[in-house]
Amino acid sequence: MSNVIEESKEVAVRPADKPGVLEVVARSGLADLAIIAASFLVLGQLISLHRVTDFMIFCIFVMSYDLLYGYLGRLSFGHMLFLGTGAYASSLFLIHVNTNPLLAIVVALAAGAVVAMGTGFILARTEGAPFALIALAFNQVGFFLADSAFQQYTGGANGISSSPGVLGFLDFSQRNVIFGFTLFCVLVVFFALKLLTRSSYGILIRSIKEDETRVKFLGYNTGFYKWLTYVISGTIAALPGALNTLNYKFISPSFIDTHRNVEVIFAALIGGAGNLYGALVGGVGYMLISNYLAAYIERWEMFLGFVLLILVFNFRKGLTGFVTERVIPRLPYGSRRPGVERR
Amino acid sequence: MIETIVYGFTIGAILYFISIGLSLTFGTMNIINFAHGMVYTLGVYLFIAFLPLVDRNFPMAMVIAVVLLIPVSYVIERFVIRRLYGESLDYAIIATYAVLLIGTDLVKWIWGAQPYPVSDPIGAFLTVGDVTLPVYRLAIVASAIVLFLALSFFFNQHIVGKIVVAALEDSEGVRRLGIDVNKYFSIVFVLGSALAVLGGVLYAPFSAAQPYMGFSILLLGFAVVIVGGMGNLNGTFFSALALGMVIAITGRFWSQAAETMVFVVMALVLIFRPVGNSSRERTWSLPFGSLMGTKGAAGK
Repeated sequence: MSNVIEESKEVAVRPADKPGVLEVVARSGLADLAIIAASFLVLGQLISLHRVTDFMIFCIFVMSYDLLYGYLGRLSFGHMLFLGTGAYASSLFLIHVNTNPLLAIVVALAAGAVVAMGTGFILARTEGAPFALIALAFNQVGFFLADSAFQQYTGGANGISSSPGVLGFLDFSQRNVIFGFTLFCVLVVFFALKLLTRSSYGILIRSIKEDETRVKFLGYNTGFYKWLTYVISGTIAALPGALNTLNYKFISPSFIDTHRNVEVIFAALIGGAGNLYGALVGGVGYMLISNYLAAYIERWEMFLGFVLLILVFNFRKGLTGFVTERVIPRLPYGSRRPGVERR
Repeated sequence: MIETIVYGFTIGAILYFISIGLSLTFGTMNIINFAHGMVYTLGVYLFIAFLPLVDRNFPMAMVIAVVLLIPVSYVIERFVIRRLYGESLDYAIIATYAVLLIGTDLVKWIWGAQPYPVSDPIGAFLTVGDVTLPVYRLAIVASAIVLFLALSFFFNQHIVGKIVVAALEDSEGVRRLGIDVNKYFSIVFVLGSALAVLGGVLYAPFSAAQPYMGFSILLLGFAVVIVGGMGNLNGTFFSALALGMVIAITGRFWSQAAETMVFVVMALVLIFRPVGNSSRERTWSLPFGSLMGTKGAAGK
């Protein structure tokens, strides 16, 4: 709580000193966007466009999860529900209604928002363990609906394939186009979340994480803000689902599988929760590990388990936390301006 | 219909065996223990491994599995859960989930991923009128009732049980009396794990053993604990039986929906029984009058 207050003081004080041109660029976040875009482009050249498209889709998912877990402090074991909702909604839209890919994305986001609004009414009233478990239960219900109940629409375990149409230059059968479009989505989501988490709303939800009772004393309806955050997080999480549809043109119940929630938790922890850069680093890190290390280490789940234990016991703030807290202070020239905490 | 009801009681009885450990761990240590699923799975596999070695003597193999799992559960408690005691709930969930992943992979490593079927150990049938019931199911229901009475006795009469009940209510207060609460928490944890192994072994003849069995049973166990009230031992018993009945009756009409229906019921219960906001306060109201005066989530 205290550092949040200090930070908001800092925000209040800031207009007094006149920022230079470089600082304006840095604060607007354009430099960050350029760096992120450049890193993904380099990564795409180093590995392959197809793989890195996968990485970026997962990064969007991790960022949406980070809003819920890192900023609001609600650990969910049911975030795959929204990914699956987005994937199925966009696929079904492409097959039955229209082949316009952008409309499919809009439908997916709307579906994610509706599911989050409904489940949020129950979930926003809980926290801690009940929150995690009830989210898990909702995800299990979603898996059941996709896997067995609506089998004639979703194809059950066999999955369904869809074919998005061509819209101007957006031809999703070409890898470059998918890569570019996904990169664009990453940048948009990153920028939107950055604005959101640095706004007064962002400070409010971080305060709820620190001490909800005090925020209530200040007169805020914390229940509404928790619900809103859950809905935003769920809506954004539907985007990677729709992108998966456009990327693979095929959807199976594995996109809504409860057991895969551990992937996003793991990614958020590696990068450092409550930090959008951490979400990107964690997303890429997890995908690198799962794509390459799994080929060499046969006991993959056991390895994941031990790494998770080490992270929980020793590196709670993940890689970004490790770098900012233990590496940068030891560098001889590493004097950071006090008070400017960039999350 | 009688068969369905008996099946419902059987599933409920097994759920009771498994959920009691989860409920106790949450009530005493405020930890959601995913590692419970690992102990459960490992116990069933050890049981299957020892079954041929003891001339297919079902109770003997069961006892061996339980005895072998006691040190395992103690190690989990001592080196994972106790280090996270009193810390953020999230890290405990993640750490115990990691233990579950490690255990599942260990089972896959040793026994492979293919399912192992287990046959009904009694194999006799009881015919009343035109209804035929497997004796094994009746035995499970009977053993759950015996367990419920034994636990009631243990927590009401025995000094260890009384200390645990007091710690469920207010662990700081018990600590101030000079009692080493952690020791009793270990006992409770090992007890809960042993009961989970028993439940798993009893359930094995209904569904073949496979490495991921722990995940699905955990979900059901959590539903039981949430409906019954976390840390509420009587509530756990009644909600286990009620949800077992839900599974049996749904399964009769639409077998794939059976387990999902449990979560629907859980959501309905949560809508009509609102949950408090702060974990420091009493998070869970109790649906049943408590014989032991246990509170929901005993706060710190």
